[in-house]
Amino acid sequence: MPSDRSDLLQGTLDMLILKVLNRGPLHGYAIAQRIGAISRALLQVPQGSLYPALHRLENKRLLSAAWARTPSGRDVKVYRLTTQGRRQLSEEVADWERLAEAIRLILQTAE
Amino acid sequence: MRWLMRLIRRNRLEDELDRELASHVEAEIERLIADGLTPSEARRQALAAFGGFEPIRERAREARGTQWIEHLWQDIRYGARVLRKSPGFTLAAVGSLAIAIGANAAMFSVTDALLFRPLPVERPRELVFLNRAGYDEPTLRFSYPALQRFRQGVPEVPFAAHTSIARTLFSVDGPSELVLGQLVTGDWFDVLGVRAEAGRVFTAADTRELGGKPVVVLSDDFWMRRFARDPAVIGRTVTINRVPVTVVGIAARGFAGLTIGTRLDCWLPLTMQQELRFYTNNSAEDADPRKPWLPQDGISFLTVVARLPDGIAHTAVPARMAAVHRQSVDSQAEKQFDPERRAFVRREYLELMPAWRGQSPLRETFTKPLQVLMGMTALVLLIGCANLASLILARGTARSRELSLRLSLGAGRGRIVRQLTTESLLLAGLGGLAAVAVARWGADGLLKLAATTRVPIPLSLPFDWRLITFAAAASLLTGLAFGLMPALRLSRAGLVDGLKAGSRVTSSSGRETRVPFGRVLIIAQVTLALTLLVGAVAFVRTFKNLLSEQTGFEREQVVSARFEPVLAGFGKEQWPALSERLLDAAQRVPGVRSASLGMTGTLTGVMRIGGGIVVEGQPPHVGPEWTLREEQVGDDFFATMGMALVRGRDFRRTDGAGTQSVAVINETMAKRFFGDVDPIGRHFGYGSPPEFEVIGIVRDARVDGPGRPVPSLAYLLLRQHPDDIANYLYVRVTSAPDTAANTLRAALSSAEPGLAIREVTTLDELTGRTVARERLMSQLTSGFGLLALAVAALGLYATISYSVVRRTSELGVRLALGASPGSVRWLVLRETLLVVGAGCVIGLLLAVPALRYVGTLLFGLSPGDPVTLAAATAVLLSVSILAALIPAMRAARTDPIRALRTE
Repeated sequence: MPSDRSDLLQGTLDMLILKVLNRGPLHGYAIAQRIGAISRALLQVPQGSLYPALHRLENKRLLSAAWARTPSGRDVKVYRLTTQGRRQLSEEVADWERLAEAIRLILQTAE
Repeated sequence: MRWLMRLIRRNRLEDELDRELASHVEAEIERLIADGLTPSEARRQALAAFGGFEPIRERAREARGTQWIEHLWQDIRYGARVLRKSPGFTLAAVGSLAIAIGANAAMFSVTDALLFRPLPVERPRELVFLNRAGYDEPTLRFSYPALQRFRQGVPEVPFAAHTSIARTLFSVDGPSELVLGQLVTGDWFDVLGVRAEAGRVFTAADTRELGGKPVVVLSDDFWMRRFARDPAVIGRTVTINRVPVTVVGIAARGFAGLTIGTRLDCWLPLTMQQELRFYTNNSAEDADPRKPWLPQDGISFLTVVARLPDGIAHTAVPARMAAVHRQSVDSQAEKQFDPERRAFVRREYLELMPAWRGQSPLRETFTKPLQVLMGMTALVLLIGCANLASLILARGTARSRELSLRLSLGAGRGRIVRQLTTESLLLAGLGGLAAVAVARWGADGLLKLAATTRVPIPLSLPFDWRLITFAAAASLLTGLAFGLMPALRLSRAGLVDGLKAGSRVTSSSGRETRVPFGRVLIIAQVTLALTLLVGAVAFVRTFKNLLSEQTGFEREQVVSARFEPVLAGFGKEQWPALSERLLDAAQRVPGVRSASLGMTGTLTGVMRIGGGIVVEGQPPHVGPEWTLREEQVGDDFFATMGMALVRGRDFRRTDGAGTQSVAVINETMAKRFFGDVDPIGRHFGYGSPPEFEVIGIVRDARVDGPGRPVPSLAYLLLRQHPDDIANYLYVRVTSAPDTAANTLRAALSSAEPGLAIREVTTLDELTGRTVARERLMSQLTSGFGLLALAVAALGLYATISYSVVRRTSELGVRLALGASPGSVRWLVLRETLLVVGAGCVIGLLLAVPALRYVGTLLFGLSPGDPVTLAAATAVLLSVSILAALIPAMRAARTDPIRALRTE
């Protein structure tokens, strides 16, 4: 397993999942692939965290899930953002941007 | 509730998770194959990249938030397995818990019903009883005109009233039976908010006219008992005290009047008082009880109940009610010429008493006993807890290998404590379940024991959430009480210790860490058991003292017959002939030496009390402490009852209607009213000049039962009081009293078939009833005392045996080095005696204040009674020594060779 890729920041996985699902419903494997692809493989989602995270979000009613069948005939559990999830996403994104801005400022000025 | 759904759907969720993870791996394999790998290589790489399934499963479960429940479930299943493996221990523990918790729940059930349960009426907290305060005891008696004055003076408040409960003769097509009835105002049910179960209840129209309407409402209980809930009863005509009345309806189910602990059978219109011959408890002054009671202001016989909604309870309304009463009191006082007497009347004022619990004569009698019994059952439960804790501790030490293993395999200490506590809670839970059944049975038994007759006290004990909650809470607390401490102790046990030592170790008592706690538990058991034993001995001695007290009359050989001539329709005109006939029949019964009559009777609780006594040559006596009991008796009364005349003469046949009214007074009255003056030949009475001449003094007798105070009592001759009719006939027999009682009943019935004979029994039996409370206390407390003794002895035996087993090798070494068996025996016994001695000292220190607290319930012994304390201590000590002797003997028989080899 390549280990030089960045670990996901604690707590950001939930946000990334919500963000990815904001564009449309996906199943677990596709979510992992999508996060990897968008981040140009810089972020690798560990399966050990992905599924617990998905279940946690489902319990919080931020996601809803349903079983579906892929064109290749596999049964997959497709996750979809709920209204609550959408609200949560925009809050988290706003928080994240504030935090990123603060860190950027520190990195720029604290030399 | 979502976590519950998740828990229930646990298996499905687990399956789904597995499917989802499998689907993920398949997708990865597909991708790798598409990248050009062989299927097997793709599968290998995909699985390797994925890592283990199990950690993901575990974390997903955590994410579901149901893990604690799953752990709990695990603990319960594990605990159940552990308990199943030692069925003897489990059975003993559950059984003793069931008894201990059950006894507590039974006490709670009865206490709750008697003291804390609101009446089954609408908004009971709004109801108040009107009380004529200012006297020593609450006086809930008003005249009908007084009720009307309240209604007119405070029209916005609904007032209703009822009489005291009276026995009434009820019949429908056939023989009559005595039932309990009560007269009520027409709006009574309305004011209380009690609806009809069937038919209708009374309305104001039913009591609009004096003498009307001939209707009756039955209680649901009576309807079921007598008519099996037959709806056809409504509209039928029945007779009550020989008056035909129509059943108009049944009162709501569960409603049995405002008197808790009495099973009321029917309600009748207040306006029928005279027609129904309802002569209930009353206070009369300047009144004629033979005329209808309602118009007379001098006859107070009504309990007035009013509804004060929250809105007006704190306004001027109560003050206006008080003002109405003040006016009546003042006009009463005006009529008194004597200034002292006027001041006495003026002391009275109106008080509103909360009525949500109803009235209950039982409450006063049993509040303190119930408190004591609840305390004792709680102590029994505590002893049980200490006992179980020491058992669990002993078992736990045996399980130390298992616990050490689990600790070393990474179980957290918290997890172990939780596991052990769960086991204890499981035991407590099982015990609690069984306890509910024990409680039902025990509470019914309690009502049977507390009753004065063979009929249990009719207190309804609903099986409801209050009882369940109590049992559940008690079980939980019990489980924690006996489970938590051992669990904490055991989990602290050294990890290495248990594994290394192979569980059977030599341990010189010096570096023991666990025994002190075990000893504390034993001391606690001994202490509590001694306290309970002291209580038991005290109550048993009280009961014995009461029964052996001289009552001042013959008990074994006097039979009392009670009958109701008035209800049976006999008036004062027929009475003289009837009494002659009855006495004649009684005297002809074989074995009867003499027979006589009494109006209110001895040991009956019925009494006639007069106030405002005038004594010749003395200023008038005012106040409740100057009241006088009077009893109208027939000829030969004192000879029949075996009461000795101290001075003067007995009644004579020449004392008749036309001659001077005469009285025989008791010693208490002579002392109280006459002091040093010789009363013989002097006069006393209610009028001026006083009408009765004292002809004799009779020795004091405990007419209300042993242990009860002797009232000032004047015996008057029935023949000189033609308005009064006797209710009791007494015979002195020389034969066996039981057979004489049966023959007497038959003789009286054939002499007058229409007479309602209630009961024929010996004075000894009646005496027993007056000490029913003390009998109950002595039986229950000795039961609890023995239980506590047995539990403590078992605990002691188990603990000592266990310590002997653990010290086998030490004892073996001692024996091998030449210690005599006797010295080894003494070694073990000494340990026991130290522990028991400490328990006894603390127990005695606790017992003395405890006895002082129950002092009012004791008779014939002081709170520090040395005999009681010594007896209890002796019993406890000897049983403890017996319990310790068995393991001590076993210790002395230890074979040194085998003991050393077990190492």
